[in-house]
Amino acid sequence: MYASYDKILHPEAFAKAVFNYQILPDTAVNIAALVLPWLELLIGLSLVAGIWLEGSTVISTSLMMIFIGSLIFNQIRGLDIHCGCFSTDATQGPAGIWTIMRDFSFLAASIYLTFRIFFFSKSPNI
Amino acid sequence: MNNANFNSNSHLLKKTFWQISVFVILASIFALTVNHFRSDSIPIIGEWSVDARFSDSSGESLVISLEEAKRLFENKTALFLDARRKEQYDEGHIQGALSLPQQEVDAYFMDIAPKLEESQLDNNDRGDGSSKSKVIITYCDGDTCELSHELALFLKEMGFNNVKVLVNGWSVWQEAGLPNEIGE
Repeated sequence: MYASYDKILHPEAFAKAVFNYQILPDTAVNIAALVLPWLELLIGLSLVAGIWLEGSTVISTSLMMIFIGSLIFNQIRGLDIHCGCFSTDATQGPAGIWTIMRDFSFLAASIYLTFRIFFFSKSPNI
Repeated sequence: MNNANFNSNSHLLKKTFWQISVFVILASIFALTVNHFRSDSIPIIGEWSVDARFSDSSGESLVISLEEAKRLFENKTALFLDARRKEQYDEGHIQGALSLPQQEVDAYFMDIAPKLEESQLDNNDRGDGSSKSKVIITYCDGDTCELSHELALFLKEMGFNNVKVLVNGWSVWQEAGLPNEIGE
Protein backbone atom coordinates (compact mmCIF):
# COMPACT_ATOMS: atom_id res chain seq x y z
CA MET A 1 0.00 0.00 0.00
CA TYR A 2 2.86 2.29 0.87
CA ALA A 3 4.56 1.48 -2.44
CA SER A 4 1.42 2.11 -4.47
CA TYR A 5 0.75 5.56 -3.04
CA ASP A 6 3.58 7.40 -4.79
CA LYS A 7 2.93 5.60 -8.08
CA ILE A 8 -0.75 6.48 -8.09
CA LEU A 9 0.11 10.12 -7.40
CA HIS A 10 2.78 10.29 -10.12
CA PRO A 11 1.65 8.15 -13.06
CA GLU A 12 4.00 9.79 -15.52
CA ALA A 13 7.08 9.15 -13.41
CA PHE A 14 6.04 5.55 -12.82
CA ALA A 15 5.35 5.02 -16.54
CA LYS A 16 8.90 6.20 -17.20
CA ALA A 17 10.20 3.68 -14.67
CA VAL A 18 8.19 0.90 -16.33
CA PHE A 19 9.55 1.97 -19.70
CA ASN A 20 13.12 1.98 -18.37
CA TYR A 21 12.85 -1.69 -17.43
CA GLN A 22 12.59 -2.35 -21.18
CA ILE A 23 10.50 -5.46 -20.59
CA LEU A 24 7.05 -4.50 -21.90
CA PRO A 25 6.23 -3.43 -25.46
CA ASP A 26 5.88 0.37 -25.70
CA THR A 27 2.11 0.20 -26.22
CA ALA A 28 1.63 -1.69 -22.93
CA VAL A 29 3.78 0.60 -20.77
CA ASN A 30 1.16 3.21 -19.84
CA ILE A 31 -1.67 0.82 -19.13
CA ALA A 32 0.60 -1.29 -16.90
CA ALA A 33 1.79 1.87 -15.14
CA LEU A 34 -1.82 2.90 -14.50
CA VAL A 35 -3.27 -0.42 -13.34
CA LEU A 36 -0.36 -1.96 -11.38
CA PRO A 37 -0.36 0.55 -8.48
CA TRP A 38 -4.11 0.12 -7.98
CA LEU A 39 -3.71 -3.63 -8.06
CA GLU A 40 -0.98 -3.30 -5.42
CA LEU A 41 -3.24 -1.14 -3.29
CA LEU A 42 -6.20 -3.53 -3.51
CA ILE A 43 -4.02 -6.52 -2.69
CA GLY A 44 -2.47 -4.64 0.21
CA LEU A 45 -5.92 -3.88 1.58
CA SER A 46 -6.98 -7.49 1.09
CA LEU A 47 -3.92 -8.84 2.93
CA VAL A 48 -4.36 -6.44 5.82
CA ALA A 49 -8.09 -7.04 6.09
CA GLY A 50 -7.79 -10.80 5.57
CA ILE A 51 -10.43 -10.86 2.85
CA TRP A 52 -10.11 -12.87 -0.40
CA LEU A 53 -6.67 -14.06 0.58
CA GLU A 54 -6.60 -16.82 -2.06
CA GLY A 55 -6.67 -14.31 -4.91
CA SER A 56 -4.46 -11.68 -3.32
CA THR A 57 -1.66 -14.05 -2.24
CA VAL A 58 -1.49 -15.58 -5.72
CA ILE A 59 -1.36 -12.13 -7.34
CA SER A 60 1.24 -10.78 -4.90
CA THR A 61 3.47 -13.83 -5.34
CA SER A 62 3.19 -13.61 -9.14
CA LEU A 63 3.90 -9.87 -9.18
CA MET A 64 6.91 -10.25 -6.88
CA MET A 65 8.27 -12.99 -9.14
CA ILE A 66 7.83 -10.79 -12.22
CA PHE A 67 9.46 -7.79 -10.48
CA ILE A 68 12.44 -9.81 -9.28
CA GLY A 69 12.74 -11.54 -12.65
CA SER A 70 12.87 -8.17 -14.41
CA LEU A 71 15.40 -6.78 -11.94
CA ILE A 72 17.71 -9.77 -12.30
CA PHE A 73 17.27 -9.73 -16.07
CA ASN A 74 18.31 -6.08 -16.19
CA GLN A 75 21.23 -6.67 -13.81
CA ILE A 76 22.49 -9.45 -16.06
CA ARG A 77 22.24 -7.44 -19.24
CA GLY A 78 23.79 -4.46 -17.42
CA LEU A 79 21.08 -2.03 -18.42
CA ASP A 80 21.64 1.57 -17.36
CA ILE A 81 24.02 0.61 -14.59
CA HIS A 82 26.14 3.68 -15.34
CA CYS A 83 23.63 6.46 -15.58
CA GLY A 84 21.34 6.39 -12.56
CA CYS A 85 18.34 5.98 -14.82
CA PHE A 86 16.21 4.09 -12.35
CA SER A 87 16.23 7.07 -10.08
CA THR A 88 17.02 10.68 -10.77
CA ASP A 89 18.25 10.99 -7.21
CA ALA A 90 22.04 10.70 -7.20
CA THR A 91 22.11 9.39 -3.65
CA GLN A 92 19.87 6.44 -4.45
CA GLY A 93 21.78 5.05 -7.39
CA PRO A 94 20.50 2.40 -9.78
CA ALA A 95 18.48 -0.60 -8.69
CA GLY A 96 21.12 -3.05 -7.56
CA ILE A 97 21.76 -6.16 -5.60
CA TRP A 98 20.21 -4.76 -2.40
CA THR A 99 16.94 -4.02 -4.15
CA ILE A 100 16.86 -7.60 -5.34
CA MET A 101 17.66 -8.90 -1.84
CA ARG A 102 14.88 -6.77 -0.36
CA ASP A 103 12.43 -8.02 -2.95
CA PHE A 104 13.43 -11.60 -2.25
CA SER A 105 12.44 -11.13 1.38
CA PHE A 106 9.05 -9.80 0.22
CA LEU A 107 8.73 -12.77 -2.12
CA ALA A 108 9.56 -15.22 0.68
CA ALA A 109 6.83 -13.68 2.85
CA SER A 110 4.42 -13.80 -0.04
CA ILE A 111 5.12 -17.46 -0.83
CA TYR A 112 4.78 -18.37 2.84
CA LEU A 113 1.35 -16.71 2.96
CA THR A 114 0.24 -18.42 -0.25
CA PHE A 115 1.21 -21.82 1.14
CA ARG A 116 -0.55 -21.13 4.40
CA ILE A 117 -3.72 -20.13 2.62
CA PHE A 118 -3.76 -23.03 0.20
CA PHE A 119 -2.30 -25.96 2.10
CA PHE A 120 -2.66 -25.33 5.80
CA SER A 121 -5.95 -23.57 5.92
CA LYS A 122 -8.39 -24.91 8.48
CA SER A 123 -11.17 -22.85 7.05
CA PRO A 124 -14.23 -25.10 6.69
CA ASN A 125 -15.54 -23.37 3.60
CA ILE A 126 -12.74 -24.64 1.32
CA MET B 1 -12.72 -39.31 -0.34
CA ASN B 2 -10.61 -38.63 -3.44
CA ASN B 3 -13.65 -37.31 -5.16
CA ALA B 4 -14.35 -34.95 -2.29
CA ASN B 5 -10.75 -33.76 -2.39
CA PHE B 6 -10.96 -33.15 -6.11
CA ASN B 7 -14.19 -31.22 -5.68
CA SER B 8 -12.78 -29.01 -2.95
CA ASN B 9 -9.61 -28.41 -4.98
CA SER B 10 -11.54 -27.41 -8.04
CA HIS B 11 -13.75 -25.20 -5.90
CA LEU B 12 -10.65 -23.55 -4.44
CA LEU B 13 -9.17 -23.01 -7.89
CA LYS B 14 -12.39 -21.50 -9.20
CA LYS B 15 -12.63 -19.24 -6.19
CA THR B 16 -9.02 -18.10 -6.64
CA PHE B 17 -9.45 -17.35 -10.33
CA TRP B 18 -12.65 -15.52 -9.64
CA GLN B 19 -11.01 -13.37 -6.97
CA ILE B 20 -8.01 -12.62 -9.21
CA SER B 21 -10.36 -11.51 -11.99
CA VAL B 22 -12.25 -9.22 -9.65
CA PHE B 23 -9.01 -7.70 -8.32
CA VAL B 24 -7.72 -7.03 -11.84
CA ILE B 25 -11.03 -5.64 -13.09
CA LEU B 26 -11.46 -3.41 -10.03
CA ALA B 27 -7.89 -2.13 -10.30
CA SER B 28 -8.45 -1.37 -14.00
CA ILE B 29 -11.70 0.47 -13.32
CA PHE B 30 -10.13 2.56 -10.53
CA ALA B 31 -7.04 3.26 -12.65
CA LEU B 32 -8.91 4.32 -15.77
CA THR B 33 -11.51 6.36 -13.91
CA VAL B 34 -8.98 8.25 -11.81
CA ASN B 35 -6.75 8.78 -14.83
CA HIS B 36 -9.67 10.12 -16.81
CA PHE B 37 -10.59 12.78 -14.28
CA ARG B 38 -7.19 13.90 -13.01
CA SER B 39 -5.47 16.96 -14.46
CA ASP B 40 -2.14 15.24 -15.10
CA SER B 41 -3.56 12.15 -16.78
CA ILE B 42 -1.45 10.08 -19.16
CA PRO B 43 -2.63 8.51 -22.45
CA ILE B 44 -3.65 4.84 -22.22
CA ILE B 45 -1.28 4.00 -25.04
CA GLY B 46 1.83 6.11 -24.62
CA GLU B 47 4.18 7.46 -27.25
CA TRP B 48 7.62 6.10 -26.36
CA SER B 49 9.56 6.76 -29.56
CA VAL B 50 12.96 8.41 -29.14
CA ASP B 51 11.70 11.71 -30.59
CA ALA B 52 8.69 11.77 -28.29
CA ARG B 53 10.71 10.91 -25.19
CA PHE B 54 13.42 13.49 -25.79
CA SER B 55 11.26 16.49 -26.60
CA ASP B 56 10.96 19.97 -25.10
CA SER B 57 7.94 21.46 -23.37
CA SER B 58 6.28 22.28 -26.71
CA GLY B 59 6.66 18.67 -27.83
CA GLU B 60 9.40 19.35 -30.34
CA SER B 61 12.12 16.72 -30.58
CA LEU B 62 15.54 17.64 -29.17
CA VAL B 63 17.25 14.63 -30.68
CA ILE B 64 20.31 15.11 -32.86
CA SER B 65 21.65 12.24 -34.97
CA LEU B 66 25.19 10.95 -34.55
CA GLU B 67 26.01 12.01 -38.14
CA GLU B 68 24.87 15.57 -37.51
CA ALA B 69 26.69 15.70 -34.17
CA LYS B 70 29.84 14.40 -35.85
CA ARG B 71 29.55 17.02 -38.61
CA LEU B 72 29.17 19.84 -36.05
CA PHE B 73 32.08 18.40 -34.04
CA GLU B 74 34.32 18.44 -37.12
CA ASN B 75 33.23 22.00 -38.01
CA LYS B 76 33.87 23.04 -34.42
CA THR B 77 30.30 24.30 -34.18
CA ALA B 78 29.24 22.04 -31.31
CA LEU B 79 29.76 22.33 -27.59
CA PHE B 80 29.31 18.94 -25.92
CA LEU B 81 28.08 18.77 -22.34
CA ASP B 82 28.52 15.55 -20.38
CA ALA B 83 25.50 15.11 -18.08
CA ARG B 84 26.87 12.10 -16.20
CA ARG B 85 28.57 12.23 -12.82
CA LYS B 86 31.97 13.93 -12.68
CA GLU B 87 33.78 10.62 -11.97
CA GLN B 88 32.34 9.09 -15.12
CA TYR B 89 33.37 12.18 -17.11
CA ASP B 90 36.92 11.83 -15.75
CA GLU B 91 37.04 8.19 -16.85
CA GLY B 92 36.39 9.25 -20.42
CA HIS B 93 34.31 11.70 -22.46
CA ILE B 94 33.81 13.14 -25.92
CA GLN B 95 36.84 15.21 -26.89
CA GLY B 96 36.38 18.82 -25.79
CA ALA B 97 33.20 18.10 -23.85
CA LEU B 98 32.58 20.00 -20.63
CA SER B 99 31.30 18.30 -17.49
CA LEU B 100 27.92 19.44 -16.18
CA PRO B 101 26.50 16.64 -14.00
CA GLN B 102 22.74 16.89 -14.18
CA GLN B 103 22.28 15.54 -10.67
CA GLU B 104 24.38 18.36 -9.22
CA VAL B 105 23.51 20.96 -11.81
CA ASP B 106 23.00 23.73 -9.26
CA ALA B 107 26.53 23.32 -7.93
CA TYR B 108 28.24 23.20 -11.32
CA PHE B 109 26.14 25.51 -13.48
CA MET B 110 27.61 28.84 -12.40
CA ASP B 111 31.16 27.65 -13.17
CA ILE B 112 30.19 26.70 -16.68
CA ALA B 113 27.68 29.43 -17.52
CA PRO B 114 30.29 31.90 -18.91
CA LYS B 115 31.59 29.25 -21.31
CA LEU B 116 28.06 28.43 -22.43
CA GLU B 117 27.29 32.09 -23.01
CA GLU B 118 30.51 32.58 -24.93
CA SER B 119 29.68 29.60 -27.15
CA GLN B 120 26.50 31.31 -28.21
CA LEU B 121 28.25 34.41 -29.56
CA ASP B 122 29.14 34.95 -33.19
CA ASN B 123 32.70 36.19 -33.21
CA ASN B 124 36.05 35.45 -34.75
CA ASP B 125 38.11 35.62 -31.64
CA ARG B 126 37.57 32.41 -29.76
CA GLY B 127 41.04 31.04 -30.22
CA ASP B 128 39.96 27.65 -31.57
CA GLY B 129 39.40 28.75 -35.15
CA SER B 130 35.60 28.68 -34.87
CA SER B 131 33.58 31.72 -35.69
CA LYS B 132 29.91 30.85 -35.41
CA SER B 133 27.72 30.26 -32.41
CA LYS B 134 27.73 26.65 -31.33
CA VAL B 135 25.03 24.05 -30.89
CA ILE B 136 25.03 22.81 -27.30
CA ILE B 137 24.78 19.01 -27.36
CA THR B 138 24.09 17.18 -24.10
CA TYR B 139 24.72 13.46 -23.69
CA CYS B 140 24.87 10.69 -21.12
CA ASP B 141 25.02 6.91 -21.49
CA GLY B 142 22.30 4.35 -22.17
CA ASP B 143 19.23 4.39 -24.43
CA THR B 144 16.91 5.20 -21.57
CA CYS B 145 19.22 7.62 -19.76
CA GLU B 146 17.28 10.78 -18.99
CA LEU B 147 20.12 12.93 -17.60
CA SER B 148 21.00 14.50 -20.96
CA HIS B 149 17.34 15.26 -21.62
CA GLU B 150 16.80 16.83 -18.21
CA LEU B 151 19.95 18.89 -18.64
CA ALA B 152 18.79 20.09 -22.07
CA LEU B 153 15.43 21.13 -20.62
CA PHE B 154 17.19 22.94 -17.79
CA LEU B 155 19.42 24.85 -20.25
CA LYS B 156 16.38 25.81 -22.33
CA GLU B 157 14.78 27.18 -19.19
CA MET B 158 17.97 29.15 -18.57
CA GLY B 159 17.55 30.79 -21.96
CA PHE B 160 19.81 28.66 -24.16
CA ASN B 161 17.74 27.84 -27.21
CA ASN B 162 20.25 26.05 -29.35
CA VAL B 163 20.31 22.80 -27.36
CA LYS B 164 20.19 19.22 -28.65
CA VAL B 165 20.43 15.74 -27.09
CA LEU B 166 22.66 13.00 -28.45
CA VAL B 167 20.79 9.93 -27.22
CA ASN B 168 23.02 7.25 -25.66
CA GLY B 169 25.81 9.66 -26.63
CA TRP B 170 28.84 8.25 -24.86
CA SER B 171 28.21 4.71 -26.18
CA VAL B 172 27.42 5.67 -29.80
CA TRP B 173 30.35 8.08 -29.93
CA GLN B 174 32.77 5.38 -28.81
CA GLU B 175 31.23 2.73 -31.08
CA ALA B 176 31.74 5.06 -34.04
CA GLY B 177 35.40 5.42 -33.07
CA LEU B 178 35.15 9.20 -32.75
CA PRO B 179 37.69 11.20 -30.71
CA ASN B 180 37.44 11.03 -26.95
CA GLU B 181 39.70 11.88 -24.06
CA ILE B 182 40.31 10.93 -20.44
CA GLY B 183 40.73 13.13 -17.37
CA GLU B 184 39.57 16.55 -16.39
